[in-house]
Amino acid sequence: MAPPSQTVSALRSLLAARFPERTRTPCGGVPAAVRAIDDALEGGLPAGRLTELVSAVPSGGGQTVVARLLAATQAARQRMALIDGADGFAPEAVPAGALRHLVWVRCRAPEQAFAAADLLVRDGNYAVVVLDLRGCAERALRRTPSCAWYRLQRAAEGGSVAVLVQTTIPLVPAVPWRLVLDTPLSLADAGAPREAVADRLSVRTERSHAQAVESLAG
Amino acid sequence: MTYAVLSVPDFALHALRRSDPGLCGRAVAMVAGEGRKARVTEVSPEARAVAPGLAAALATSRCPGIILRQRDPAAEVEAHRLLLGAAFTLAPRVESTRGGCCTVDLQGADPARTEALMRLLAVELAGAGLPLRIGAGATPLLASYASRCAEPVLVVRDPGNFLAPLPLAFADPSPGQEEILRGWGIGTLGGLTALPKAEVGRRLGAEGVLLWERAAGETARVLRLVEPARSFSAEWAYEPPVESIEPLFFKLRRFAERIALELRGAGFVAEKLSLTLLLEDETDHRREFRLPEPGADVEGWLRVLNAHLGGVRTDARVAGVRLVAAPARPPQRQDGLFDTGLRDPASFWENIARIAAIVGDDRVGTPAPVDTHRPDAFVLERPAEAVTLSAEAPVHPPCGPALRRFRPPWPVRVACDAGSPARLEGGRLEGRVCAALGPWRSAGDWWKPQAWAVETWQVELAGGGVYQLACTDGGWCVEGMLD
Repeated sequence: MAPPSQTVSALRSLLAARFPERTRTPCGGVPAAVRAIDDALEGGLPAGRLTELVSAVPSGGGQTVVARLLAATQAARQRMALIDGADGFAPEAVPAGALRHLVWVRCRAPEQAFAAADLLVRDGNYAVVVLDLRGCAERALRRTPSCAWYRLQRAAEGGSVAVLVQTTIPLVPAVPWRLVLDTPLSLADAGAPREAVADRLSVRTERSHAQAVESLAG
Repeated sequence: MTYAVLSVPDFALHALRRSDPGLCGRAVAMVAGEGRKARVTEVSPEARAVAPGLAAALATSRCPGIILRQRDPAAEVEAHRLLLGAAFTLAPRVESTRGGCCTVDLQGADPARTEALMRLLAVELAGAGLPLRIGAGATPLLASYASRCAEPVLVVRDPGNFLAPLPLAFADPSPGQEEILRGWGIGTLGGLTALPKAEVGRRLGAEGVLLWERAAGETARVLRLVEPARSFSAEWAYEPPVESIEPLFFKLRRFAERIALELRGAGFVAEKLSLTLLLEDETDHRREFRLPEPGADVEGWLRVLNAHLGGVRTDARVAGVRLVAAPARPPQRQDGLFDTGLRDPASFWENIARIAAIVGDDRVGTPAPVDTHRPDAFVLERPAEAVTLSAEAPVHPPCGPALRRFRPPWPVRVACDAGSPARLEGGRLEGRVCAALGPWRSAGDWWKPQAWAVETWQVELAGGGVYQLACTDGGWCVEGMLD
């Protein structure tokens, strides 16, 4: 991304100084029960924000994150929505008791996923909304207009829901947090307890809220 | 106040307008009679130069564009049922006095609360297209007079002062009586009741006594009570059939308004709604909606219906519509101490319905396992209202990376070495297998035609990625990725 011009930077600084109450700060979080992610996000998925989790390699651990998130939200008696863009969620991979608080939307196309996300993010009854776009055609995802993402971000800002967007390529423009799962799991992990597998996940922070604020300030 | 009268002035006109969206805001007149004898009986406020009694031909010349319509019995029945539904929300003893008018026995009702309820009802029915006037008084007759003067609610507390200025016509005198009384210089009810009743009887006979009693509002009568609705349904036949959602939705709103009032009057709420579209080709489209939360909230119902109708495509035009509400007692529920309920149930269920309209009814919900070992077997259930803690730990705690399925599975050719997969070829996934776990064999339903048997392997490819393979009678496929 090209650095903002001096005029734009000056304007942003001026606005931040004049309207400090409008400066957005993260408010609370929902622990993902995955150590690397919670550490990177300083406590968990930030409420009222989008977090992009990019599965850059096959078997990077994205689905394990969803499974751990289900267990964590269930333990906190919170409701979770999974908008499954490519209908890939396997209920048998999660204990039945950890599914009762889940609303699973099985989409056939990315457009359906975006329409469902737009509704669920505004709903007010969910602590976490996961928009899983892995498995969707990359061409279709790249055609998504940026306004769809900005609309989703604005919708999330109004509420207390944490939105996790799962992708295989960086997609969300101006996202406050972008984490990348870039180390594949191996078959040796197959017999390990799920918690141990989650602890082994490796996450690279490609973009964080602090970086975003710095880039905005120029 | 002991009685209330709910009446709708120009009832036939309002009943027609609330059933036909094309008449809203237009100059409309109801006519009676045919051809040159046709006379205007009721006029909408938009037709300023036209008054009841005018010849239909003259009305057309005075107000170009005026719509002349005959009475519509079906629309009047629907509107009258709405009125009765409103009356039953005040008290259970209701008389259907005539079309557009009903009388309610309010004995035992709290006066202050009832008056507040009457004001709310007037507003609610005005929103539903019926400008209601409600009068209340000590006798049905007094309440009837009050309803004719109400704007929109009038409670008569001092009958003498209320009746005194009213014109004599309120007491419905015969033409002969009217002429005699005019000769005496009497033009108001107060003027007549100022005369001694016995003297009026001596001069005008028994009919005169009855007139005096009517003028004093004293005439009491026994109400012919009607039963509250027991079935909560509405139906309409379109002539001609309709092709778009607007007329359908307009009618459903009217139905919902009436059914909600009837339910409230009977102390019920709706648990389920059943919508039937009767199509021109004599088939029908039927759908049942379990409501997010049992209730009588018209807007909530309409959101559910609208979400569904937005995605409905029919092969033929819609010739009729039927809406049925399944009654239930209002929910009495208390969440567990550690349960988390919905913050906004209406929004939750409304959004579920909207998403179902986008992705399909069978593709949104809470997954639940079914009693089988068949791979990928689950059902989607209605989401629970409360999030409860799982009572017991799972028998088999989850191990390894979670599976992400490919639906449908990817067909693949598998080259085996010593019985275990060694290489994947010819599909969306290719590569050398560097490690493999398996096989896990399972089978079931062998006593049924849909018997199944599968051999499952987990393999790691040399290029990265752990996948789950399945071998069935149909060959190998990649079921998903361990991710």
